[in-house]
Amino acid sequence: MSRFSQATIAGAGIGLRSTHYQDILNDKAAVPWFEVLSENYFGDGGLPLHYLEQVRSDYPVTLHGVGMSLGSTDPLDFSYLARLKQLAEQIEPAWISDHLAWISAGNRYVHDLLPLPYTEEALNHFAERLLQVQDFLGCRLLIENPSSYLSYRKTDMTEWEFLQELVDKTDCDILFDVNNVYVSGTNHGFDPIEYLHALPVGRVKEIHLAGYQKHDNYLFDTHGFRVHPPVWELYRATIEHLGPVPTLIEWDNDIPPFEKLVDEAGMAQKVLDEIA
Amino acid sequence: MTDLRELQHLFRDAVFEETSDGPALQAFSKLINDSAGLSAAGHLRIYRGAILGTLTRALGNIYPVCKRLLGDQFFDGMARIHARNTPSQSADLANYGGEFGDFIASFEPAATLPYLADVARLEWHWHRAFHAADEAAMDLAALNNVPLADTGRIAFRLPASARLLDSNFPVQKIWQVNQDDWQGDQDVNLDEGDASLIIWRKQYGMRIDELDSQESQLLGAIDNGALFNELSQPDMGLELDTLLPRCYQQGWIAGFTLDA
Ligand SMILES: [Fe+2]
Repeated sequence: MSRFSQATIAGAGIGLRSTHYQDILNDKAAVPWFEVLSENYFGDGGLPLHYLEQVRSDYPVTLHGVGMSLGSTDPLDFSYLARLKQLAEQIEPAWISDHLAWISAGNRYVHDLLPLPYTEEALNHFAERLLQVQDFLGCRLLIENPSSYLSYRKTDMTEWEFLQELVDKTDCDILFDVNNVYVSGTNHGFDPIEYLHALPVGRVKEIHLAGYQKHDNYLFDTHGFRVHPPVWELYRATIEHLGPVPTLIEWDNDIPPFEKLVDEAGMAQKVLDEIA
Repeated sequence: MTDLRELQHLFRDAVFEETSDGPALQAFSKLINDSAGLSAAGHLRIYRGAILGTLTRALGNIYPVCKRLLGDQFFDGMARIHARNTPSQSADLANYGGEFGDFIASFEPAATLPYLADVARLEWHWHRAFHAADEAAMDLAALNNVPLADTGRIAFRLPASARLLDSNFPVQKIWQVNQDDWQGDQDVNLDEGDASLIIWRKQYGMRIDELDSQESQLLGAIDNGALFNELSQPDMGLELDTLLPRCYQQGWIAGFTLDA
């Protein structure tokens, strides 16, 4: 028997956060799967990896990162990729994801997901690097649409056209963040439904849900609130269009007690069950 | 590739430049759209706030005692200056912040707290120890089997998590009374004197142990790569017969190799 759960990723899972290790392990929480933030387990040892191994023995997991910087014009960071590969070999995730974004320039990291200009140049650059990374890791990646707060004057296509082209060029899959598309759509004045209908059905392997924060002139993606009603509405439309895609609740700021996340995941599960 | 590269470098410069409306921001603003409620520069400033906020929070998480000693507002202001001037050079945010202690030492407005830089160094060592490699116990049988003629070439090593810290201030005490769960007196007498500390992890337990002068001298020499034949020189003045077993039992010596 394997030391790890052999279950597949299905239904509404929760992002694994260190404040909840005890809740999960002591109570054998009834959650179908967890998403693990890759970089939180890049240390050589210690408690984080110890707990992760325990969680992994009971649950299937996915690896989600912010560090690949696929859109950056800096050289690919192969020490980062080697560490990620090692972690993947250690915990055997169902898949690995990162973002349609860049995070460094001139080797200065901003630790924030910055948007690309959706140009032919950026598309070719991103696709070429994604192919290299998929080759290095030996698997297909899921690429997630980011929340963004600015748009460039010089573009050749929309974000969803960029994603479509990327799938064609690299055979990658998509992680569709419904909250992000709502935030970006509001900030830049596009229709999330148009975005949704342009997604290549069958390529969307995971969905993210989270809570944004409302500012005077824009929405900000804090991952610090419950999922807002219009995002639930868009989620329902997404599941109707794409089918019961595995869905994840993300929460990173002011992390609440675990039960609240279980409750939130339960709401997503309800939508999945109703439409299935 | 030049368009994309230039745009990204300009974006970065606009985020980190000193003034709120500097040349990089003005140049970058020409490349992005304004919207109903926000100017182009306003859009960039959302990122500036988020990025400096993330780095400032990261420093606050690594340096909670410094933050407590300075107060949130002073600490955040100082951390923001550091974040603007000291690039993060790794995709892993856990690697950021190691230069903060040296920065504090040279940060004029914090000079009234002369022990602060050492408290920061202690907190950094703690942060690194938390993520350091796990250790198996040292192989004593292998040590006993080293032929007598080779003992001079033994190079002991400290646990992977361990860092030594010497300070002119009782920084361990300062650290301790500023923990959330500390119940006792908050006063620390700064004349209480020097501290020689080892900050490390024993299995999963974080530790800050005080060293006496013999222990500190021995572990310092080992940390600098001294071999057994150097440690046993009379002028080192180390009572190795009792000192070595004691340090081993404490867990401060985690292994050895034979120098070629
Ligand atoms: Fe997301």
